[in-house]
Amino acid sequence: MKRLLNISCKKATYLISLKEEKAIGFFDSIKLKLHLGICSACRLFEQQSWFIKINAKHNHEHLDVSLSNDAKEKMSAALKSMQ
Amino acid sequence: MDNKHTLHPDNWITNYSDALYKYTMMRVNDAGIAEDIVQETFLSAWRNKDNYKGEASEKNWLYTICKNKIIDHYRKKSTSIIQYAEADATSSMFDDVEHWTKEDAPKEWGVNYNQTVEKKEFYSILEKCKSKLQQMQQSVFVMKYLEDLDTEEICKVLGITTSNYWVLIHRAKLGLRNCLEKNWVNV
Repeated sequence: MKRLLNISCKKATYLISLKEEKAIGFFDSIKLKLHLGICSACRLFEQQSWFIKINAKHNHEHLDVSLSNDAKEKMSAALKSMQ
Repeated sequence: MDNKHTLHPDNWITNYSDALYKYTMMRVNDAGIAEDIVQETFLSAWRNKDNYKGEASEKNWLYTICKNKIIDHYRKKSTSIIQYAEADATSSMFDDVEHWTKEDAPKEWGVNYNQTVEKKEFYSILEKCKSKLQQMQQSVFVMKYLEDLDTEEICKVLGITTSNYWVLIHRAKLGLRNCLEKNWVNV
């Protein structure tokens, strides 16, 4: 029984990723719970994976890049040539 | 009351080019490609201006066109990638009994994991980490978490199976987590 319910960290992290997006099966969910009960590294993975998910979709205004004037002029010219 | 929006093509580049460029750069990580996509967005908008019904704001309308151009880019790119030819960097995070190696086991970051980060520094590191992911992992991650597409749609665009999808999204998470821990958090 113990061997049946034991899963590796590799498998546990995969289940964590799955669980974040959709429901996982009953037995998988029990195996994961048991694993998380004894594995602090995978517990951290679960929290950090969530953290990445909620921070992935940040406002792109945070990003420090801008178009060069050359590129903008090129776009203006391309747009004008169509008019 | 007339709620219809109107288009002002003469102001597009001044008003939207930088914002669309940032939006695109977050999703494609390549300055040249991002420039092309933004330009193509404006040209395509111009070609389709007669179809604009004024229901969405000009800004939202342009973003929708840009988003479609980005998805087209992913579609084209996925056909040119031999999916699993690249070695998978995430397998070395686990030892031969598939437990975390000492070096790659998650460490405490000392942040509130349920909160969003406001620091600019974090986002530039997240961008760098994203650009280091394997191409397909990056595509799947962006389409899922930035574009909010559903699994079925992503698989269709990229021509992959759902089990491919889950493996890719999981490896993207493993890779990003590892990179963030090594570059952002001082643990």
